Amino acid sequence: MSTNLLIVAFERPAIDWHAVAPEIVLLSVGVLITLLDILFLEKARPYMAALSGLGILATAIPLLTLGIDGTERVLFDGAYVVDNFSLVLKAIFLLAGYVVILLSTNYIVDGDYWESEYYGLLLASLMGMIMMASSRDLISVFVALELLSIPAYLMVAWRKRDPKSNEAGLKYYLMGVFASAVMLYGMSLLFGVSGTTVLSEIADSIDAGNGSSSVMTLGIVFVVAGFAFKVSAVPFHTWAPDVYEGAPTPVTAFLSVASKAAGFVALLALIFVGFYELSNIWEPLIWILAALSMTVGNLVALRQTNIVRLMAYSGVAQTGFMIAPLAVAGHSLSTGNQALSAIVTYLAIYAAMNLGAFAVIITLARRTGSAEIDSFSGAFHFAPGLTVAMTIFLFSLAGIPPLGGWFAKFEVFRVLATSGETWGYLLAVVAAINSVIALFYYATIARKMWADDPSEKDLNNIEVTPSLVSALAICVLVTLLFGIFPQLVARFTEVSLLAFGV
Amino acid sequence: METVVFLISAAVILSGALGVIFSKNPVHSALFMVQTLFGVAVLFVLLEATFLAAIQVIVYAGAIVILFVFVITLLGVDRAEDLKVEPISGQRPLAVVLGASIFGIILTVLIVAVGGPTGEQVANTPIGDASDNTKILGEALFSTHVFSVELTALLLTVAVVGAVVLSTRPTKPLISTLDKQQNDNLEDELEEKGEE
Repeated sequence: MSTNLLIVAFERPAIDWHAVAPEIVLLSVGVLITLLDILFLEKARPYMAALSGLGILATAIPLLTLGIDGTERVLFDGAYVVDNFSLVLKAIFLLAGYVVILLSTNYIVDGDYWESEYYGLLLASLMGMIMMASSRDLISVFVALELLSIPAYLMVAWRKRDPKSNEAGLKYYLMGVFASAVMLYGMSLLFGVSGTTVLSEIADSIDAGNGSSSVMTLGIVFVVAGFAFKVSAVPFHTWAPDVYEGAPTPVTAFLSVASKAAGFVALLALIFVGFYELSNIWEPLIWILAALSMTVGNLVALRQTNIVRLMAYSGVAQTGFMIAPLAVAGHSLSTGNQALSAIVTYLAIYAAMNLGAFAVIITLARRTGSAEIDSFSGAFHFAPGLTVAMTIFLFSLAGIPPLGGWFAKFEVFRVLATSGETWGYLLAVVAAINSVIALFYYATIARKMWADDPSEKDLNNIEVTPSLVSALAICVLVTLLFGIFPQLVARFTEVSLLAFGV
Repeated sequence: METVVFLISAAVILSGALGVIFSKNPVHSALFMVQTLFGVAVLFVLLEATFLAAIQVIVYAGAIVILFVFVITLLGVDRAEDLKVEPISGQRPLAVVLGASIFGIILTVLIVAVGGPTGEQVANTPIGDASDNTKILGEALFSTHVFSVELTALLLTVAVVGAVVLSTRPTKPLISTLDKQQNDNLEDELEEKGEE
């Protein structure tokens, strides 16, 4: 009897090592950083930023080979899929992570903020996002979500000596956990009805008639609400301004771009692979989220005096734009594919322009010591280059041609207008009105920086560190390139998830 | 028989959960939580998920809640908090109304659901014999879900690292960065005046 226990027939699962190579490289770098920290303590600290940056670049290599190879790889019974959609999103996450490390370098050294641990957590969060891009099953979606959120909760509270940062960390944690709990309840209901956690099998179960169950509806509503928190869509946005203001600014940049994109990836995978057939449930839900996010975000942003809080509300409004194509995505397969491409395009361009804007804010705030918009007045006199860059990013966020943001907004309007649905036209009208409101407050900042008199007596040119210069260069380049040659980004974002779902 | 056991454990779970929320003393809350977790363990036994029942008692009721109690007593928060403060007026009545309506919606949905809350039988039948439970779970964890399991390990490491960093006391006094900046500016100005 006792020998029987030892002989357990266990077959090692077949793993496509090439498909998970990016994850393994990134994980190894994260572990390496932790080990170096334990071995060398203070001596290793100055090299941590460079090491994690290199680690991200190394992760991009297997990503490239996978992209060149181009075959779709399905692992673990459909739970983990490496296709074009996930590769593009992984590339966006890696680029955003790299820029955030460039932004963090001086900020974290200046504040004496536990560098090694900081970069370790940043890479862990990035790991969660990379995993999210490939997850096609409820369990791995949930693990990925926690893996990307928990380091973020910690990093928000990283400025331990500042009560505002502590408050931000606690708020973000409590609200995030609450949203996770709601989402998990929704997932358990979905599993209860369909009897599976794999998204494509949930779609099969909906086809087989389980979609009419009211429990399925409740599950979908809860799961969408959970991710609406992650992407900070109204009415689940209340955490954003306080958290953005209290967190270290590079972490704010990370949250507003990478964390938001990760929420979108999960939402897209769930809706397109899992619940595409039930568009009568999620379309109205998304419509309301989109319209509310745009309107409330923009109207509140008008009244902000702190630029980080303004960026928080502008981020809420941008979420409204990004989510809008989903509201008509269930109309037909081609509309669905167009909506998906439009959202991925928007995510890529938004990452570049928003990170760029934060790079300028970080650099200027280092000088002025304040994040009030008035303290940036007359920035042209002491930081002409930064002012030009900030203007590019702000006008891009507002959607002025020929900058990247213009193409992103154009794609959204195109999907809304060509769907042939009354609700699509209505949402396009709401979006158009909001574009005008947004232009007003973006332009106000630019006007203050160019035209007003500087409040500072010191008019020496501002000191910009090399890492911030590279971050700015990357962001400006991407924003301009995607605006002038939109076919470039369109080539990469022509992705589809629907082959799987339907 | 099954229905009777279910109803009793449901009553135990619900009263425990209400106790967690309504007791004024955090230690009492933690103990009510043990009661809830025990009730859930009984439900697992009812579903013939014996391994999960054992884990529920050993890990949750045994280890985690006891840890809670340790932390509560060590931090010295083992007394009632004043919860009468209302930062935004009208917040509480609104919360009660919203909570009650969400509860009403969930209840309605679960009651009118065709074929009960769990439509598919896979979700509420035992996986193999009771004795096979552990083996089947282990195999599932390390074959189809191996990726998630490994990354959960990373998640726990991250949580430990972050908790250590955040719980280490700051060496310098608590001061807002902006205040610090203003202080620095003030000091600069004073120095300038001194030089004049």
